[in-house]
Order: sequence, then structure tokens, then C-alpha cells
Amino acid sequence: MGAESRSQRAGGLWKSVQRFFKTCTLSAKYSMLWMGLGQFRNGQIGKGVLLLLTEIGFIVYFASVGVRDLIGLFTLGTRAGDPILGIAGDNSITMLIRGVLSVLLAVCFVFLYWQNVRDANKIALRRREGRQVNTFLQSLRALADERFYVVTLALPVAGVVVFNVLPIIFTVLTAFTNYSSQIAPPKLVRWIGFGNFVTLFTVTSYIRTIGKIFVWNCLWAVLATSLSYFGGLSLALLINKNCVKGKRFWRAFPILAYAVPGFITMIGFRYMFSGMGPINWLIVKLMGEFARVDFLGINAVWAARAVCLLVNTWVTVPASMLLSTSVLSNMNRDMYEAADLDGASGIQQFAYLTLPFVFFATTPILIAQLIGNFNNFGISFFLRGGLINSREYFNANSTDLLINWLYNLALGGSNNYYGLASAVSILIFLLTGTFSLLAYIASPSYRREDTYK
Amino acid sequence: MKRSKGIRAKRMLDSAWSYLLLLAIAFVFFFPCFWLILSSFSATGSIYDYVGFFPKAYSSSTWIELFTKRTPSCNYGIWLGNTLYVAVLSSIVSTILVILTAYTMSRFRFKSRKSMMQLTLLFGIFPNFMNMTALFVIMTQLHLFNNLNGLIVLYSCSAPIGYLTQKGFFDTIPNSIYDAARIDGATNFQVFVKMTLPLSKAMIVYTALTSFTFPWSDFILPQMLLGGNKDNYTVAIGLNEMTDDMFSLFAAGSVFIAVPIVALYFGLAKFLVNGVAAGAVKE
Repeated sequence: MGAESRSQRAGGLWKSVQRFFKTCTLSAKYSMLWMGLGQFRNGQIGKGVLLLLTEIGFIVYFASVGVRDLIGLFTLGTRAGDPILGIAGDNSITMLIRGVLSVLLAVCFVFLYWQNVRDANKIALRRREGRQVNTFLQSLRALADERFYVVTLALPVAGVVVFNVLPIIFTVLTAFTNYSSQIAPPKLVRWIGFGNFVTLFTVTSYIRTIGKIFVWNCLWAVLATSLSYFGGLSLALLINKNCVKGKRFWRAFPILAYAVPGFITMIGFRYMFSGMGPINWLIVKLMGEFARVDFLGINAVWAARAVCLLVNTWVTVPASMLLSTSVLSNMNRDMYEAADLDGASGIQQFAYLTLPFVFFATTPILIAQLIGNFNNFGISFFLRGGLINSREYFNANSTDLLINWLYNLALGGSNNYYGLASAVSILIFLLTGTFSLLAYIASPSYRREDTYK
Repeated sequence: MKRSKGIRAKRMLDSAWSYLLLLAIAFVFFFPCFWLILSSFSATGSIYDYVGFFPKAYSSSTWIELFTKRTPSCNYGIWLGNTLYVAVLSSIVSTILVILTAYTMSRFRFKSRKSMMQLTLLFGIFPNFMNMTALFVIMTQLHLFNNLNGLIVLYSCSAPIGYLTQKGFFDTIPNSIYDAARIDGATNFQVFVKMTLPLSKAMIVYTALTSFTFPWSDFILPQMLLGGNKDNYTVAIGLNEMTDDMFSLFAAGSVFIAVPIVALYFGLAKFLVNGVAAGAVKE
């Protein structure tokens, strides 16, 4: 059904293009011939010159490098370089990026061309009705005012496209190549289809690592988020209690912890929990040498995981407390008085009034926190001190999450598996994207938007 | 009579354990920070010269060393300058871009608006960090690898994606104000400069500060994009590379860069709560 409607829509598009061609003005046809010609015919010389030059610019670009770059995107280079013989060769990775850029520019060109035809048509119709046509300066002023959003968004959108969209496209494409530090320019990189995904799921050491990391990653996201969420909520409720005086004073301590940059906290805790560190000194002092725990050692599993959870809770509870405090301050006091009159206990009030309200107000943030924790790179990186290869893992350790593994594969070890790492990014993206979409749709804030209005 | 006494005793007990718990929590949050400050005054510097949590002897030599030492492993003055440069410039450019984006998204209705909003949500799930290989290649192509300006460009250009809090704020400014000005013949540019900006001073300050603190204490992007050249290091990577025997230097360096942030957060605690709340309530 989807394909059918799509073909119908495509047919409809084709028909409307045909209709446009039949009914459009002569100026529009001029502009189809070459950008800007229709504008000349409409008497808009300035705009016409600008468009004419734009098309010349694009044609020069495509003739000189654009077409070559576009072809390069498919071949990724045909001549391997050889530093010994002094052959420069093709740089596959540069070609990949430039190819993507040329596709983006081509799309841009088609869009501009279409806008140019539409503009010529619109102005010609206006002239036919005998209305005033803007001069070049007037057009510029109109653009700056009526289409103010184009002016304001131009820079942010350009920045996001070059430094966020382009990298994402590149990453997605790299996942289908065999790019790694072994196969990198001057050697030629090849398209290998789903090869990286097949490798991830068939080679024993990879599939074992991925399975172990994935299970811990999910468990971690749930545990870390609930600890910080309920920890923050309980702390906010505790400080909000009527009997507690000096609320600002008590709130200052978590805020202090919140303000210290995360990496400092985590490195500090790494020293605190190290084999000869103060925590172990305390343990040995209290219980004797036998009790010494190698919390963050190479093959520590559950001890290291517990420390990670503990430290993460310390780092994230303050923000969660601030959030809960501000949500609680929006809550309707009358509900509690009514509940008091009905004789509801404190626990009942918490379970049936506070929790649903806070949960309702914070679901989007909760989802974001869950995703944030799923991709919490810092905790394992700083607490374990970079790349440690544990037993039974390939380029990873027991507290590493998928995102740490991705880092280790791409940049961490002596071999850089760029293609594999990109495949892992796509996996993470698919997992987190699907999850947040489903969670958002299922969330009470999405389904019953007006409950508390 | 007897019953009210029982209630009072129960209340006393309740507040007693509340305060005890609060004391314990305050200690848990305060002690690691205090420990780091103490460590920065340790006389020998190595983590192995401690008795339990506390250094064997104290001295202020570490602090002097921190600002006078000029070795590759501790060049704090240069690192601090680099960090300040990156954070200040990123903050200025990011604030401009974020405010422009948020204002436009809140105030104007145009064809691609909805799809742009959905796309930014999608990009939010695909953090820049996952594109490390791509960023590495692109920054090398643009000669921005191993270059502080590259960091500024990257922070600033990624900032508009997080425009939702600011959009939430602009959504609260009633349209009637704008419409009145438009009827009086003001252009959109004039409306933005003369009406919106003065109304949103608080939001601009909030944006500038959050986009200052992020690069100020970020580790991941500098680590990825500033290669071997130690003169280009920011404080975060410099501190991370310090070894066990330089623990007091690490502590002093950390305390020094944490202090401005802590001061900012306390000065702006109210702002922060409101900012978080604005992001929470709006879609």
C-alpha cells in the first residue's frame, strides 16, 4: 500500500509539473532555460544578474570538481598511492567527504533553480495584473523583513549542516566501508556493504563483547537513571519537609557537588577508590588486610560497576534534586490538604499524589536522562582511566558502555577500526532513537497533555 | 492530652531523623570537595604519601608550583589561557546563534519549521561524540584539527541544536506586544533588537553562562581534536594526563578551575532552577 501511494504521489507530482509547464508564463520558461533570464524579462536586472552568476558559479564548480567528486563518491578512488615510489594516488576519505558535499551542493542547486523559476512566474503574473514590481533594493529589504527567519536561521543552519549533519552522513557512510588504520590513505578504502555489521555479529570475540556490553549497558541505564531520579526526588522532598529549617543551607551542599566539573569529580573518585587509596585504607583499618578490594582493577566486575553507579549517583543527584524542587513548587497544595482530611498517610500521599505528578511533569526529561546515561561515556572512561582490556572482552572492560567501546574501536587502541566503530554508532543510534520514540509516545505527558491544566 | 503528647514526640523523632539524614547527605557531598582542597595543600604531592584520607604534611608550595612551573606535563598558565580563550569566544558565538534560532522558532511560522524541529530532536540523539571519526577528518580538511579555533567553531555550531529552553522562554512573551509594534511599522529586525532583546536579558545571561561553563569544563572534544601539541591543551586534558605522583598539582588545578563555576552556580541558583523548569514544562 505504501509503495502504491508513493507511486501515486510521484505520478501526481509529475502531473502537476506538466500542468505548471503548460500554464506558466513565458518568463518562467526563460528562467528554466537559464537562471535569471526570466527575471531580466520581468525587468528585475539586479536579481537577474545575481541568479545568472549563481548558475555560472555552479556550472564552473560542477565542471571543474563537482562531477569528479560525485563520481569519486562511488569509486572511492582508483589509484592507490605509494609513498616509496612517490605516487600521490587517490585519497578515499577526502573523496568520500567531497562526494557528500557535492551531493549537498547539487541538491542546493536544484532547489535554487526551482525557486528561480517560481519567482520569475510569480513576478510575471504580478506584472500581468499591472501591479508594481520591486526594484532590487526593495527586494532585498523585503527579504530581510518578511522573511526575517531566513536571515536569522541562515548562520545557525549552515553551522549545524556542516558540523553536525555532514559528520552524521559521513559516519553513516563509513559504516559501509572497510576504513581502518590498516586500510587508510594512501591505501584505497572500499565500499563493503553490510560487511561491518556481519563482522560485528559473527566474529566470536566481537559478538561476545557486544553481548556483554549491551546487557550491562541496558542495566546501567535503568539503574543509574532510577538512582539519580529517585535520589533527587527523595532529597527534594526531605528538604521540603515542614520541620526542616534552613532549606537554602541544606541545598547548598548538593549544588556545590553539581558545580564541580564532572571529569574532576570522577578522577578524584578514581584516586579515592584506587587500590592503595583512602577508601581501601579505611577498609583495611577496620577489617584487616584480607578485606582490601581492588575496586577499579583490570578484571574487577561488580565492584567496579558498583563504584560507577555510586559515583554517577553522586554526580547526578544534585541536578535531579533541583529539577524535582522546581516541579514540586508548581504543585497544587490543596490536593494534600484534601488528602490529609481524608486521612491518607504520608506514604499514600507520596504514591498517589506526588509521584504521578512529578512523573508526569518530567517524563521527557526522564527519557533524555535515560538516553544520556545509556551513552554516559565519562564514567567508565575516567574511573577506569582510559582503555583497559578486561578478560573476555575485546578492547573493552566490564564497566564500558557501547559508546566507550565505540571510542576504543575508533581511537582508543593501537588499531583504529573506523568502519566498525561507525557501525556501532549506527547501532546505538537505532537503539536509542527507537527507544525514545516509543517511550515518548507511551508517556503520560504525550497521551494526556491536559491532565494537570 | 496524652494523645497530643504522643504526636509531639512523634514529630520530634521525625525532625530528628530528618536532620540526621540531612547531615549525612551534606557530609557525603561536601567531603570529596573538601578532600580535594586539602590534597592541593599536601606537601609532597604524591597520592602515596597519605595517611588514609589526609596528607602527611601541608604546604602551599603546590599552588606556587602550579602557576610557575613550565614543563610539558604541567603548563597550567598556558592551559588556563587556552581554556579561557575557547570558553569566552564559544560562549559569545553560541549565545548569538542559540538566541537567534530560539527566537525564530518561537515567533515565526514557516513551511519547514516543523520538520526542522523534528530533525533537531533527531540530531540530539546522535551526539557529536559518536561522529568522532568524521569530525577528525572534516577538521583536518578545514585545517582546524589541533587548533583551538576548531573547538570554538564546533561548540558554537552545535549549540543551536539545544535551543528548546530558550524557545520555551520566548513562547511566554505574548504575541500582542509584537503585533502592536508591527502595526506601528517596525520591521522584524527592529522588533527583535528593540523589543525582544531587552525583554530577554535574563535568558541571554543564562544562555551565555551555560555555554561558557560547558567548554570551560569539557573534556571529550578537546581530547579528540587537540592532538599531540601540549601548548594547545586545555586544562581538562592537561589535568587528566597528570600522574599519581602529581596528585596535589591535579587537586590544585581542579580547585582553581572549579571555583569560578561554583561561584557562578551559587550566584545563579535561582536562574538554574527556573531554566531547568522552563525546559521541563515545555514540549
